[in-house]
Amino acid sequence: MLKDFQKIGRDLFLSGLNSSHSGNLSVRYGDRIVITRRGSMLGHLEERDLIETGLAKNDSKIILASTEIGVHRAIYKGTSALAVVHAHPVHAIALSLLEEQIIPVDSEGAYLLHKIPVIGAEDTIGSKELENILPGLLSEYKIVMVRGHGSFAVGQMIEEAYQWTSSLEQVCRIICLTRGLHGELKEKRLDKFTSW
Amino acid sequence: MDLYGWFGKALRVNLSTGVIKEEEIEKKLMMDWLGGRGLGTRMIYCEVPAVCNPLGAENKLVFAAGPLTGSNFPGSGRFSVSAKSPLTETIFDSNAGGTWGVRFKRCGFDMLIIEGTASTPVFLSIKDGAASLEDAGKLWGSDVFETNHKIISSLGKNVSVACIGPAGENQVRFAAIMYDGHRTLGRGGLGAVMGAKKIKAVVVSGNKKIRVARPEKMDFMVYESNKRIKANPITSKGLPEFGTPVLVNLFNELGVFPSYNFQGSQFAHAGKISGEAIAETIYAGRQGCYRCPVQCTRLVKIGASTIAGPEYESLWALGPECGIDDLTVIAEANNLCNQLGLDTISTGVTIGCAMELEERGLFKTGLKFNDAVGLLRAIKQIAGRAGIGDLLAEGSRRMADKSGFSQYSMQVKGLELPAYDPRGMQGMGLGFATSNRGGCHLSAYMVGPETLGVPKMVDRFSTDGKAGLTITRQNINAAVDSLIICRFINLAVSEECFARALSAATGFDYRPQDLHRIGERIWNLERLYNLQAGLDSSFDTLPARLLEEPIAEGPSFGKTVELKPMLAEYYRFRGWDAAGMPTPPKLQELELEEYSC
Repeated sequence: MLKDFQKIGRDLFLSGLNSSHSGNLSVRYGDRIVITRRGSMLGHLEERDLIETGLAKNDSKIILASTEIGVHRAIYKGTSALAVVHAHPVHAIALSLLEEQIIPVDSEGAYLLHKIPVIGAEDTIGSKELENILPGLLSEYKIVMVRGHGSFAVGQMIEEAYQWTSSLEQVCRIICLTRGLHGELKEKRLDKFTSW
Repeated sequence: MDLYGWFGKALRVNLSTGVIKEEEIEKKLMMDWLGGRGLGTRMIYCEVPAVCNPLGAENKLVFAAGPLTGSNFPGSGRFSVSAKSPLTETIFDSNAGGTWGVRFKRCGFDMLIIEGTASTPVFLSIKDGAASLEDAGKLWGSDVFETNHKIISSLGKNVSVACIGPAGENQVRFAAIMYDGHRTLGRGGLGAVMGAKKIKAVVVSGNKKIRVARPEKMDFMVYESNKRIKANPITSKGLPEFGTPVLVNLFNELGVFPSYNFQGSQFAHAGKISGEAIAETIYAGRQGCYRCPVQCTRLVKIGASTIAGPEYESLWALGPECGIDDLTVIAEANNLCNQLGLDTISTGVTIGCAMELEERGLFKTGLKFNDAVGLLRAIKQIAGRAGIGDLLAEGSRRMADKSGFSQYSMQVKGLELPAYDPRGMQGMGLGFATSNRGGCHLSAYMVGPETLGVPKMVDRFSTDGKAGLTITRQNINAAVDSLIICRFINLAVSEECFARALSAATGFDYRPQDLHRIGERIWNLERLYNLQAGLDSSFDTLPARLLEEPIAEGPSFGKTVELKPMLAEYYRFRGWDAAGMPTPPKLQELELEEYSC
């Protein structure tokens, strides 16, 4: 498991989806959850950075767990996910500050993600409000953006949740680039997926 | 004086003459030393001869609130007491939460200085601005719970009582000052200083408004800090749900949870006494200090009684340190210490030392590991100075010295070590060795970086960079102890917020760097006092067991504390000479020349 966490953590960091100490990953094992340590460097994960604690019940390890442990737990309780990736993709964060939802304009993005909801909350870090909202949305979507904060993606395995995260950022980079070109899009997927 | 955050007033009570007077505290003093530990250190340094007998009339007790005490800032409802310690002979401060500090400050004072010695037992009553000494003849001999009950019955519910029990009256060198019933200014024997002065209690009740200079900014800092406290799993989940015993399983797994007087670094039955075990068995509720959202105090049910549960340190000292694995016994022993007014850490470690001496056949103490009956009996004997308790009441260092086997006393500068085996945490070892109040975990609190990842996780086995990190933590913590804010809040909220909250409270602009400098000045002044008291660099060490006996098994296998290189680096980094003396340029830099030895 450590190797999986190290591989994905490193890729998330190297591809700019997280800064040095941001983001967190987890997997669910029955009634247990393994999550990255609070403040760990995803690009350099070691064994001490993987914290195992209860899915529903706290134990002493909780004091080492990621700040987002509550949101991860809520997602596992409310969805069939077995892995969660939380990242801070910069283009996606920038767009989330402007949009109510992100609609891919490229074909792969549209094919994979269709539409990415954007939600806002007063507190966005370790937030009870997000614990209530995110599971419902992630039952329907693979990935959700929290406005101004970052993405939460789910998967049956950690690589899958990573893929949605990577795809989201790709989608958002393309949107940002096309907007910068000031031209009119020749193909409009926008309308089709608004009601997805 | 038109001050915010502070009143700029001290109350001086001379027990020998009975004279009580108000004094103004200069604004510059408040700004430079803040309050709490800082103000207390400065007062003790200036007014108590370093070579005096801590149990004599020359010693003084300084009770001090901080500029944030009584504000809405989380974890700030605290006060501290400073004196020369009868246990360590060092300058000593102890701070605690509850309600006493806020009620004292609302009397309109930042500081209370108690000096001299009463001829007969008295208690001090302060109501708003008025203070009087009252006869305590009928309270003398009462335990802490009775004293608290009698005073509240007589003066009403809106008072807070800081008092001593029989241990303080009998000048047990590690007697605590108890307040709000079960809360403790535990370490260093400050209760014995009260006992020597024949002052049974200090009772406070105040309603004065504590003014904040920039209320809107303070509200914002409170909001921001609470947000961090709510988001951080330590302060939002671990401590509220399990209290400080949340650390038991964690530290046992790391191999830094001492047992049997530090002969082991793990305890086979840790799971039976952990935070989780308490939650599943004897847990009966939780409590917290004034304005604290964490509420980490445990209430536990023992038989028909609901009592305050043991904190992590107490649980360890009265448990694994003495080979005890029965939660009920530990909770009873903890309650007994509270009732009699004893520091649980020093009590447990002194008894643990006595147990090891007995089991090794070196010195007759009549105590053996895992003897619950013996543990409870010894606690009573210590408080009453009865039988072997009279020797134990002197603390583990003096007891072990008397036995001829000093090496079995697990203390630094006479202060018994708390629940961390520094062989598996090198920085903690340096922190213990260099702490101005002796074997104290709170001065540097290297628990944060070495085990909890606060502010960042460092390699606990490495000595690299530990000197600088220890110094930084010691300095900032000295300032935090002067504001005064709980160490646990500091696990979620940084000094950046503290500096802004201080600025909002007082109206003077402080930066985080200012707090570091204030802390460094406090640290150096404490050091100067200790040097004058005769505690030179030879006291900056650890028990031989931790330096020479490698951990025999477990995750910290083979480790000892590599103190020597860390200590040399520490002195250099502090700007002290090779003998651990602050150099003139350092004192000049800190504007402490007037205080040089």
